[in-house]
Amino acid sequence: MPFLHERLDNGLDVIAETSTAAVSASLGFFVNTGARDERDAEWGVSHFLEHMIFKGTADLSGDEINRRFDGMGASANAFTSEEDTVYYATVLPERQREAVELLARMMRPAIRAEDFDTEKLVILEEIRMYDDQPPFGADERCRAAFFGGHPLFRSVLGTVESIGGLPVETMRDYHARRYAPNRMVLAASGAIDFAALVADARRWCGHWKPEAESAPRLVASQPRSAAVPAVQQIERPAATLAYAVRAVAGPDEHHADRFAAKLLTTVLGDSSGSRLYWEFVDTGVAEQATLHHQEFLDAGLFVSQLSCAAEDAPELLERIAALYRQVSREGIGREEFEQARNKLAGRVVLAGERPRRRLFEVGGEWAHSGIYRTVGESLAIVESLTRDDLHRVLEAWPLDAPAATIIAGPPHIAP
Amino acid sequence: MKQTLFSASLANGITLLGEHLPELESVAIAFHTPAGAIHDPVGRCGLASLSGEMCLRGAGDRTSRQIVEALEGAGIQWSQAVSTTHASVSGAMVSRRLPDALPLYADIIRRPRLAGEELEPARQMMLQNLAGTEDDPVHRTMLALRELHFPTPWGRPAEGVSADVEALAIDDIRRFVASHAQPQGTIIAIAGRIDWDDFVARIDRLFGDWQPGTPATVTTGPRGPRVAHVPHDSQQTHIAVAWSLPPYRSDESYEATAALGILGGGSSSRLFTEVRERRGLCYSVSSGYQTHRDFALALCYSGTTAARAQETLDVILAEIERLPGTITAEEVDRIKARAKSQLVMQQESSAARAGAAARQWYHLGTVRPLTDELARYDALSVESIERWLAAQPPKDLSIVSLGREPLEVPRALSA
Repeated sequence: MPFLHERLDNGLDVIAETSTAAVSASLGFFVNTGARDERDAEWGVSHFLEHMIFKGTADLSGDEINRRFDGMGASANAFTSEEDTVYYATVLPERQREAVELLARMMRPAIRAEDFDTEKLVILEEIRMYDDQPPFGADERCRAAFFGGHPLFRSVLGTVESIGGLPVETMRDYHARRYAPNRMVLAASGAIDFAALVADARRWCGHWKPEAESAPRLVASQPRSAAVPAVQQIERPAATLAYAVRAVAGPDEHHADRFAAKLLTTVLGDSSGSRLYWEFVDTGVAEQATLHHQEFLDAGLFVSQLSCAAEDAPELLERIAALYRQVSREGIGREEFEQARNKLAGRVVLAGERPRRRLFEVGGEWAHSGIYRTVGESLAIVESLTRDDLHRVLEAWPLDAPAATIIAGPPHIAP
Repeated sequence: MKQTLFSASLANGITLLGEHLPELESVAIAFHTPAGAIHDPVGRCGLASLSGEMCLRGAGDRTSRQIVEALEGAGIQWSQAVSTTHASVSGAMVSRRLPDALPLYADIIRRPRLAGEELEPARQMMLQNLAGTEDDPVHRTMLALRELHFPTPWGRPAEGVSADVEALAIDDIRRFVASHAQPQGTIIAIAGRIDWDDFVARIDRLFGDWQPGTPATVTTGPRGPRVAHVPHDSQQTHIAVAWSLPPYRSDESYEATAALGILGGGSSSRLFTEVRERRGLCYSVSSGYQTHRDFALALCYSGTTAARAQETLDVILAEIERLPGTITAEEVDRIKARAKSQLVMQQESSAARAGAAARQWYHLGTVRPLTDELARYDALSVESIERWLAAQPPKDLSIVSLGREPLEVPRALSA
């Protein structure tokens, strides 16, 4: 699978991992912007703008964009996170050029006031939709409690108040500030004609003005422990179960131990066959008990998630903490380590077969670090990991450190 | 498009289906036995699901834990599920792991221990999952709609109901597995990098001496009322609308699914345009097709703030009513392009191809080559879709709302 890269004069990176076996072409713009880049008066604008990108340019209506994507048989969508906004489409190879043209033109949206007002209603519905699902709010509140004043505290969707009060001019300013070509990557995977991709990128994006000086995205103080190490409760009157989220620090995405961190969470908290699974899920004590690793540019988290009967939540959280204390005392066993490493290796190989999955892997990594890694290289990293690597992670980022914990659920949970 | 399809049957009634995808490193395999929830006796809703879970909890000479360790230690991504018609276990893996995986699956299917001491944890696990679905308003809405629309027992929830699950005994499970997990009607589908002859020989050794029993019959009963409201303390009201369509095995199902796609599949569809893009009424609105062997339904869904739910329902109903006589050639072209893309891209996923083969065999008694499926989409026209809509316009609608207040339903459509 050859990897190809070209940088346009304005700083836009064009990259592709091409494959002769693929029958599809996946394409995406990866924009280095997200909730962490928002100012206080802009809360939620990154995600709202992602919606507005689909509402048209000066010479393309929103309806026309939708018709074109469907007309080329594209599976197209977008997502916004704390650090990234990504627009992508998967098409048959003969539609590559149409898809690139459409995505590229969309990156320079009209942001019309009447569309903005209508789409604001859709965003408010999206916020309420997640509000009705108890697990979602808990996750965001936990991140806010962990990060305190760090820019990563901000939820991606924003709030009913922040979105409700957002003026259209603020979004236009944000777009002008954040969608410069030197902050963007046009990535592709699958059956890609790279020469055509570069030619089309020049044609549709070559005139975009780069930002003279990119403001740094990182802050001086990296959160190494929870800003508010305490248990907070959110009342969800309609909820049946309680949903608990518990966060402690972990390696960030530039740290060499990020792979060991993933393997550690596979041993301890994968959704099947892990320590948490056997103790809490297999026994029917909890609906779900997992541990996963989240990584950002300058911070990382180990996040435990638990859902269970409301009255059991405090005790089960304590049992999870006890399990972590035991692991830090006694370490990881040989057999569970081998099993988890094989499992992770299997996932890397299977995911590597899907060009659509590779787009996010390849584009995301390049957009953040300018690094490209083949499936084989990723596999080699996983296979080189040892128990010592996991024990080092346990020591550097103790899972039993004081955590930020949120419990969302029906009222009157005993503390 | 060149495809290498295989099929074979064993003397005891097992059907084997295969597709060789030489570009892939992986294989995906799924075993479907006819032990679906359709056979849950009255008052024991959830018996099939609990039986499926119990089959993983110890089989052959392995304990519950040893089964999972063996699967995951070999890097196999496995899953288990019980649907209305089938109990399924499946796995995706690097192809060289297949010979070791097959005996494991044979144990799970043919030699489950069904030990009494595993019943309580398995039951508690199911009850936890059922409690979790109480917190998922969309899922609850869909369950209510299926229950309303399909005749008994086809609309009953495969996942069970808590009160029934509480009462199940180990003997219920042993009887259920003995009478429904049997070779007649069992489908084993595999896709990816396969050696077909070797695969058939291995399956014959593992399953050839499995004795057939008497296939169970299902008596289809009456259906319930057409309109229902489920009270739920949520910000959004969830709306689902359904009507009957010809099943997948009917030649008309292509016209039916095309009409449904024009109504609500994709972002250029009428529902997405009118409900979300034009009016900003919701975040999600869509329509889909769900089929059993003998009957199918069209299903429209949207979730929106209570105050705007009536308008949302009214717009959905108006679009359904407007469908006959208004289909355009551009809409049909977009449906064809989307279908073609989806069919071709399936070839990048061994799991998707194995799933498609099993589904087609169950519904059609044959595996339809991709070229045949594509030709059927190519043959669609405005005239053929309109002809079908004129003969079978949407009528006798079933309507479910879930939220704080019921909605007003006009008599004409639902009478």
